[in-house]
Amino acid sequence: MRKTVFWWVERGLLLLISTIVLFPIAWMFLTAFKRPRDAYSLSLDFSPTLSNFVTVFSDPWNLGDMVLNSVIVASVTVLIAVPCAALAAYSFSRFRVRGRKFLFFLILSTQFIPAVVIVLPFFLMFRSLGLLDTRLALIVVNLAIVTPFVIWMIKGFIDAIPTDSEEAAMIDGASRLRVIKDIVLPMAAPGILTSSIFCFILTWNEFLFALILTRRDAVTLPVGLVSFRTERGDLWELMSAAGVMITVPIFIMALLIQKHFTRGMTAGAVK
Amino acid sequence: MQDRSLSYLLLVPAFLIVLATTLYPLAYSLVTAFREWDLTKQRRPGDFVGVDNFGYAFSEPGFQNSLWVTSVFVITSVILTLVIAMSLALLLRRKGRMHTFTRVILILPFAISPALIGVSYRFMFNPEFGVIAKGLGAVFPALDGVPWLASPDLAMAILVLTDVWHWAPYMTFMCLGGLASVPRETEEAARIDGASNLRIIFGIVLPQMKGVLLVVAVLKTIFALKMFDQVVTLTGGGPGTSTETLAFFIFNVGFKWYDMGYASALAWILTAIMMLISVWYVRMLLSERKMATA
Amino acid sequence: MAEVQLVDVEKRYGSFLAVPKQSLTIEEGEFLVLLGPSGCGKTTTMRMIAGLEDITAGDLMIAGERANDKPPKDRDIAMVFQNYGLYPHMTVAENIGYPLKLRGMDRKTREARVQETAEKVELQALLKRRPSELSGGQRQRVALARAIVRTPKIFLMDEPLSNLDAKLRVTMRAELKHLHHELGVTTVYVTHDQMEAMTLASRVAIMREGRIVQLDTPKKIYSEPADLFVAGFIGSPSMNLVEGRITGGRFEAPGVSLPVAGADRGDVVLGIRPEDLQLTDPGAAPISGKLYALELTGDSTLVTLRNGRTSVCTRGPADFEAPIDAPCTLAPKPGARIHLFDKQTGQRLDA
Repeated sequence: MRKTVFWWVERGLLLLISTIVLFPIAWMFLTAFKRPRDAYSLSLDFSPTLSNFVTVFSDPWNLGDMVLNSVIVASVTVLIAVPCAALAAYSFSRFRVRGRKFLFFLILSTQFIPAVVIVLPFFLMFRSLGLLDTRLALIVVNLAIVTPFVIWMIKGFIDAIPTDSEEAAMIDGASRLRVIKDIVLPMAAPGILTSSIFCFILTWNEFLFALILTRRDAVTLPVGLVSFRTERGDLWELMSAAGVMITVPIFIMALLIQKHFTRGMTAGAVK
Repeated sequence: MQDRSLSYLLLVPAFLIVLATTLYPLAYSLVTAFREWDLTKQRRPGDFVGVDNFGYAFSEPGFQNSLWVTSVFVITSVILTLVIAMSLALLLRRKGRMHTFTRVILILPFAISPALIGVSYRFMFNPEFGVIAKGLGAVFPALDGVPWLASPDLAMAILVLTDVWHWAPYMTFMCLGGLASVPRETEEAARIDGASNLRIIFGIVLPQMKGVLLVVAVLKTIFALKMFDQVVTLTGGGPGTSTETLAFFIFNVGFKWYDMGYASALAWILTAIMMLISVWYVRMLLSERKMATA
Repeated sequence: MAEVQLVDVEKRYGSFLAVPKQSLTIEEGEFLVLLGPSGCGKTTTMRMIAGLEDITAGDLMIAGERANDKPPKDRDIAMVFQNYGLYPHMTVAENIGYPLKLRGMDRKTREARVQETAEKVELQALLKRRPSELSGGQRQRVALARAIVRTPKIFLMDEPLSNLDAKLRVTMRAELKHLHHELGVTTVYVTHDQMEAMTLASRVAIMREGRIVQLDTPKKIYSEPADLFVAGFIGSPSMNLVEGRITGGRFEAPGVSLPVAGADRGDVVLGIRPEDLQLTDPGAAPISGKLYALELTGDSTLVTLRNGRTSVCTRGPADFEAPIDAPCTLAPKPGARIHLFDKQTGQRLDA
């Protein structure tokens, strides 16, 4: 093919987009390996060090505790939300029961409720129950945001599976529950995995709830970032190191589900 | 048939979660919105004060400011995201190694915690050692030493920038999904009829994307209305109150001033705005579908 | 093996009446074909027998037992789906063995049975593959094997051949017929292809708008169609239907004058199959008109002639040639069967 002007413009644009996307991420990764002195210069000529990571994991920052909090809160949220949502999604997708449309709309419309509305009463409730600054509190509130979203997503995946195989299994002698276990779950597995990762990312990155409901014990990584803003000013190199810790696991997951990414997001929206 | 009871049974766990984590707090905050409750003075909810909390909102400059800030933010970020996402989708739908690479890395911004995005941009726009601030200053000397985040308009612009950086890639994927469902034949027919590339995009492709673009626009509007994370980590609502979005303002009322009644009322006003938009959205979608099937 | 009875069975979706109240008995060991155009209710009827659709009213009896409220798994049926309904995450062997596994059969017996069944449909070499690695015809065989791996009371087949190419369809048709002969299991078969129906069925039920309009042996349906719909649906090319009137013992229409039995009356439709007509010399020919189209089919030529609103088709020799618009004449063959239908009701008029 002859390389026309358009060809070069197109490559140029793609390069520009990639730069805009990658540059802030790259800069954070670089800063995380710089000594404090280098962090404040724009020079790319520095000797990389792991000292920032050592610092954030030790006293007084104790990033390890936050990593643990984040892992526990996100995992438990996924473990509760996804199975419940998968069952509900199957029901919404396959049965024509009375009130189904209304229920589905009700659950979906909770997505439009701003998180502040939910967190206010929970703050008051947890305060009187003495549950402020606990992982349990965070898990409960995260379920509110994540569950409807996951129902919506998994329903999109199940809708796309033809019913033939399920009907065949019922005629072959399987009960409904057996059909779900033997046929639906294996066939929907990629979709359920994708939804789980989405759910994990949402919870992992969640900021508002954690900011309001935690103080010291149950602080998660995104809120932990704020603590590097000290009286001595913002400690950028430590923030960057913490940022790398937040980002790397999520990047790995996001790239894992890359193939299903578009489908998952458009599954419900386009219909 | 036994299926009927099973179908309800399967809904029970999820429905219980939604009931407990959403519907109950919603009702609780609705009741609180009609009470006076200063958490610094009272441990228990105070007296019913009718619609006073709501009335107060409309006479109070803080709320009015946050409404204005939110409107500016929502409108600019929605329009920019939509235009950029659609353009990127048109650019990226072709095949090619660079196209694929760009598509893959576009996943990254959405996966980054918005709080972290705020922190990173704050760092990069620092006038003394921020790489973007310094870089711009080096290329355009006039921009050297501009106090980016200390100027109200620029701070808002950067807030919008971080939001577009976060969401445009995600929305690009939605547009790509929509583009994939536009039948190639319609474009090929137009090309054979002699239409130019631009004519094809504006006359053939975009009209068929109306439904998807509407969904994207409304989702983005909803997300933009909730804008909170970057406000905290990027601007702190400042300078002054120039980037105090509604969600951030409600957060301040509730958790800095501890005025629970007022905060609940504000939260319900925000909910009402969102509900109105969602209803409008469902209506538009339905009429769009009717047109599509007609 | 069992008899299936539908007694006053009816199916509604909300206010939409999909299958109006009707009864049907499928005898033990019979091969019954439900035939009709798409949307005629044949698939719904079969799915009610399978238990995949609720029955709104009436009784479904399988082997003398009321089965309305039995879930599919307790009805002891096997079904072959139009899109096969294979389990994509299981191998061919696991697909075929799944009904046995559900019945708690131990692994060894199961494997032996799968092997045996696979041989019957020539799938031995493919047992370890997954459905996605098979061709359409092979998938069809897997679906079939899964149905016959156990001996159910009833076989249900929902357009099982419609996704295959024309050549394979003919081969599989013969295999199905042989299989039914070998197993002797009561079979209900849904199709919109009249050729399949005629070749496979012991009896055919022709359905239209949810109703069974004729239930008879293929021979009877061909020779004595109950109404205009059946007459036009069965046979290829389809029966010639000419509107006209009977006066003085003759049927009269533009270009047609044929002696018929029956009283004088107007508004009748005369039906005569293309294969009951032949080209004749001009003269006192009962059917005349201008040549409209010639279609060579290989072994013969389809000749269509027109005269006013009358259009009649017949088979001529393969080497028949004539210019379009040339005058053309036809006559019934000796012993040809002439059908008369009421124009208003469409019902067959018997002499």
